[in-house]
Amino acid sequence: MKDTLQKFFKIDRRWIFLLLTVTLFVPIVKPIGLPNKSISQATTRVYQNIEKLPAGSFVLLSLDYDPSTRPELHPMAMALVRHAFAKNLRVGVVTYIAGSTGLIEELFARVGKEYNKTYGADYVILPYQPNILAVMTQMASDLFGIYTSDRNGAPIGGMPVLKGVKSYKDMSLIVCVTGTAILDYWVAYVGDKYSVPVAGGVTAISQPGYGPYLQTNQLKGLIGGMKGAAEYESLIKQPGKGTSGIDALNLAHLLVLILILTSNIILLFVKYF
Amino acid sequence: MKLIKKHIPLAIVFVTGVLTLVSYYVPHKVSVDYIETMNKWENIVVAFAFLLGLISLFFSHYHKIKRKGDGWGYSLFVFIGFLAMIIPAYTSGGKQMVEGVLTPLGWAYKYIYTALSGTMFAVLAFYIVSTAYRSFRIKSPQAFVLFVAAFILILGKVPLGQIIWDSALGWTGQNAAGVIEWIMSVPAVAGKRGIMIGISIGAIVTSLKIIFGIEKQYMGKD
Amino acid sequence: MVDTSIIAGGWLAAGLTIFIFSFLYRDNPFFKIAEHLYLGAGMGWLFQVSVNSVWIPKIWEPVSKGELLVIIPSVMGLTLLTQFIPKLSWMSRYGFTFMMGYGSGLAIPAGLSTDFMSQIAGTIKPFSLLASLSAMDIFNALLVAGGAICVLFYFFFSVEHKGHLKKVSNVGIYFLMVYFGAAFGNTVMARFSLLYGRFDDLFTFSGSNYFYATQVVLACMVLYFLLHGFFSGKKEDAAGEEAA
Repeated sequence: MKDTLQKFFKIDRRWIFLLLTVTLFVPIVKPIGLPNKSISQATTRVYQNIEKLPAGSFVLLSLDYDPSTRPELHPMAMALVRHAFAKNLRVGVVTYIAGSTGLIEELFARVGKEYNKTYGADYVILPYQPNILAVMTQMASDLFGIYTSDRNGAPIGGMPVLKGVKSYKDMSLIVCVTGTAILDYWVAYVGDKYSVPVAGGVTAISQPGYGPYLQTNQLKGLIGGMKGAAEYESLIKQPGKGTSGIDALNLAHLLVLILILTSNIILLFVKYF
Repeated sequence: MKLIKKHIPLAIVFVTGVLTLVSYYVPHKVSVDYIETMNKWENIVVAFAFLLGLISLFFSHYHKIKRKGDGWGYSLFVFIGFLAMIIPAYTSGGKQMVEGVLTPLGWAYKYIYTALSGTMFAVLAFYIVSTAYRSFRIKSPQAFVLFVAAFILILGKVPLGQIIWDSALGWTGQNAAGVIEWIMSVPAVAGKRGIMIGISIGAIVTSLKIIFGIEKQYMGKD
Repeated sequence: MVDTSIIAGGWLAAGLTIFIFSFLYRDNPFFKIAEHLYLGAGMGWLFQVSVNSVWIPKIWEPVSKGELLVIIPSVMGLTLLTQFIPKLSWMSRYGFTFMMGYGSGLAIPAGLSTDFMSQIAGTIKPFSLLASLSAMDIFNALLVAGGAICVLFYFFFSVEHKGHLKKVSNVGIYFLMVYFGAAFGNTVMARFSLLYGRFDDLFTFSGSNYFYATQVVLACMVLYFLLHGFFSGKKEDAAGEEAA
């Protein structure tokens, strides 16, 4: 009996890989139909901070994620842009991760069309810059000191979207969506110093680390991981990849719990019986 | 020679460090002009830093091919991958989309880079599951606390888990989302805040050491 | 025309994705090819973005217009590369010290205010509003304050942890464990989300509009492993399983 159990414990891990593949792939092919049920306070705070802005306000989006974190962060960025466009806000996009440029193109090509928004009048995509601290510090006095043209080389000086926007004073909100520590930089080097509201969207991995900033209101809200994306999609009533993602994760989450419990029960059994 | 090799660089770190620090607290025009120039310059200096990684990657794979070392054929694919991005970038003039249609550069990003980069990280999901099965041991009270927190989060973040929670623990009057909210905003904040304050003290001390030339490991050996 | 490029893209993406996943079964040449392509493509992408977004507009264009000041930071940046030439590597110190001085100068005030003072203030602030707090809020505020102090005790005091100090720092460990537990739980979700993203793409490419790219590539990989196992015999099989 003990031997069988121990054998079961030392099972070739490729069986576990297969089990995970099945539990995650099957709900994609045949959705379970259990969408997100609860909405966290931190996500609601991001929503409210955008919701309360009057039309025409300028929002800066710092989209700093590449394909490696795309499934979590792309849906939330998409939901945020949809919300901003629905509220007729002006949107400026910056990035400090080279790998995110393609995702930004994809996002705005799609959502821009959905809301019939004009590039240059309603939104602008600024080029990647390598030194985030330098750009953040510069935008405190004059963003045109660093950004003179958009990501395709067109001059941004006369674009209506940037009319009257020169520094943080002229921005209503900054939202950073990232799988890196760039949100920390926005909080420390911009939000705290220049009193601009900063909100964020991060991967589930880094989400618990932002609790202290949320409690002190240094961060005006936080969307965390696929669950956060699904929450935001529910708030704007436009289900997307976050909502279908959460549905697909249902079984896989239970699988992990069952595996942890099984292995610990086996070990207890082997030890005491 | 020591002046050029050592003293001037140390003077640079000291002067830029102190001036940048002072400019944070002094909103005078001179300090704004200084920091604006620095911002533009720093942005350019850093734009060269990634070449360090690029050159060392190329060196190591070039040597492997030259020596015909073990698996040298694979090293060719490093250069193929590089060219697969550079050539379309050149032909598309750096643009990824023109009038809503993907350029070759946009295509290479969408179908090559996204697939490779996304999958490389997605593989980790398999390892976290097998690690959870093989190494997540509840052997001490501390490990038990860790397990309980993890268990609640894994269960309570998905709708199916919330349904299970409600049917098993609904009688307590607490739902999973509420308990997660509490964990994230109370005990986890306490834990993270302790770490945060600790790290900030360390970071400030290290920064001061760098400015005053006490910490200079990054300069390499003489 | 457009359709062909999308279908070709689907096949390529499905192929590369499955090549990388195939490592989970066993290391193989297809995985190695994809892995090396990834290294090259990642660098290539960074290179082209840097050239198009920084080097051309920030260095080349100003210089060709006669704004020569940008040459100074460019030269500083180039000194970084002397790292590869041992005799000249001291030159890279000019670039590094310039970056380190600026970074440290900015980090000190930001760290002091954001992660130190604001955190202490945030811990104390609830107690100034005691009159308006519920019993639960007060309990939570005490827990945050007490927990953070215990964690700091655990990290900091270089005195040997004995008696009461040991108890305090032990309590700190429990708060850290809750934090790490929450982080682990969230990591599981994050990792699965990434995997979901790839599976979702594979599912897209499995459609008839992509001519069943996923199924065909997967079948080819299975065939490869079968044939490989058949021809290389059992000896390697055992070695492969050990590696996996």
